[in-house]
Amino acid sequence: MNLIDIRNLSIKLQTSTKPIFAVDRVNLTMKEGEVRGLVGESGSGKSLLAQAIVGVLDEKWQVDADRFHWRGNDLMRLSAEERKAIISKDVAMIFQEPMACLDPTTTIGEQLEEAVDVEQLTGYFWQKRQQRKLAAINLLHKVGIKQHEVCVKSFPHQLTDALCQRVMIAMALARRPMLLIADEPTAAMESTNQGQIFRLLASLNQLKNMSILLISHDLENVTHWTNTITVMYSGQFVEAGTTEQIFNQPYHPYTRALVDSSPKASRMIPNKSRLMTLPGSIPTLQHLPIGCRLGPRCPRAQQKCVHAPKIKNFHSHQVSCHFPLKDNYS
Amino acid sequence: MSDVLLQVSNLSKTYKDKNYWFNRKCITALEPLSFDIMAHKTLAIVGETGSGKSTIAKLLVGAELPSTGHIRLNGQSLEPGNFKQRCQHVRMIFQDSGTTLNPSLTIEQLLDEPLQLNTKLNETKRHQLIRETLQKVGLLAEHMSFYPHMFSGGQKQRISLARAIILKPQVIILDEALASLDPSLRSQMINLLLDLQQQMGLAFILISHNLGIVRHFSDEMMVLSKGEVLEFGKTTDILQKPKHKYTKRLIMSQRFQLLHR
Repeated sequence: MNLIDIRNLSIKLQTSTKPIFAVDRVNLTMKEGEVRGLVGESGSGKSLLAQAIVGVLDEKWQVDADRFHWRGNDLMRLSAEERKAIISKDVAMIFQEPMACLDPTTTIGEQLEEAVDVEQLTGYFWQKRQQRKLAAINLLHKVGIKQHEVCVKSFPHQLTDALCQRVMIAMALARRPMLLIADEPTAAMESTNQGQIFRLLASLNQLKNMSILLISHDLENVTHWTNTITVMYSGQFVEAGTTEQIFNQPYHPYTRALVDSSPKASRMIPNKSRLMTLPGSIPTLQHLPIGCRLGPRCPRAQQKCVHAPKIKNFHSHQVSCHFPLKDNYS
Repeated sequence: MSDVLLQVSNLSKTYKDKNYWFNRKCITALEPLSFDIMAHKTLAIVGETGSGKSTIAKLLVGAELPSTGHIRLNGQSLEPGNFKQRCQHVRMIFQDSGTTLNPSLTIEQLLDEPLQLNTKLNETKRHQLIRETLQKVGLLAEHMSFYPHMFSGGQKQRISLARAIILKPQVIILDEALASLDPSLRSQMINLLLDLQQQMGLAFILISHNLGIVRHFSDEMMVLSKGEVLEFGKTTDILQKPKHKYTKRLIMSQRFQLLHR
């Protein structure tokens, strides 16, 4: 069964003149135990999509979807309370810049104890307090922090970035979620620390069968850790498929450009040669092109591209382009 | 190709802890190091936080005074206090271009400032030079009257680059200048920097932790850890045959991501 199944999700911002579609008809499906990468550059709406799933979006954003199912339950039909009950039980989220997300005035231990689920505790209140302390320490052990005595007593500013991110993950694990949404968990982190965090997430996925939605702006950073990847551009769905399909045989010109533009990925190119790029820059929300939003920057754009393309499916490799690069790889 | 452009010998930096009158503590940010850069070449400096790579940048632009050592440019010694000489020839681009541009000045005023302070050009000539420089980095002359907030991240980084090259420097220091950009804009920026290096014969000092960019962009690289130089040599040699354990770990941590593809 699909864990999450989203079809044609739009997030729109009502302005005085016309509505702006910050996310325009995006599909996302996840199976249980899957690690899916959600890749897009800044302004592609990937964080908005994650926030829409968790339901923490502002009032001003309107969310519409043809289908928005969580393990078979249609979330759009549920009331806000029911929805919150389901989501808060099964979904957890971690953010970028862990240092800024933790409360600077309280110790790590207190923050962790606050996150512990009440339903897991039994007995009288003094017993519960003990259990709560133990649960917090257990959580720290789960994310690979061995010196819990020091960690519990320290404030966020006394820990390194990677340790703070581990604490964030520990908090997310407190309610034993089925889906963990990691919104750029390693942005602005050293590469050695990045590896630690990714390895921890991978082991959680393996041991606890937890699904992970890994959001990143850099394709090359996540490829090693994901089973499947969804690519977004400027609020539109671009391409989805397994990591091998996306990385070795991208069908969409945008994905092709992303893969080619990373100097690490295409190792064959000579030193100091020109990298392949798309001309122009990412459009802002106020000036979105009509139809396919890649249109003005796309090397293969034709007249047809002023209409938004329908999603084509080639053996579970979905691509949203009028002229996919499918024939190039035969 | 040409003579040594920038010659750094025995450069080091120690900070004194001023709290203790007796038994003063010294914190060594940078052990003595020496290197040379030719024109048209790029030196990459790699290391973790606290390894002293930003200290090198600060010492080279003159924001900090070195404890020991000399910096020579074209055989001429760069004096610690002589900013006029240094500003002309050594320029720096910072990581976050959004916060390093003054939001209350237009682009023309921003680019005019270094010209007014360092050259004796009259107003029409300055205007002309700003126009040319903006075109060189791929912006339009109309952008002169814009304010920094009207640009996207990639364009802001181009403005910082314009501000760096407007005095026709010989050395540009890129302190994580490519880290915060989106991948497609980053490759545009790399192309632009390489073109400028070709045209103007610039020497770059690239401070980065993305080894992919370092491999593509630099001729020589230096691996720093805790203020010490662990390895220094040709980029291709170091990346293929790292000698030090630390370098190996650094390369592994970035390369494993694509090892099995």
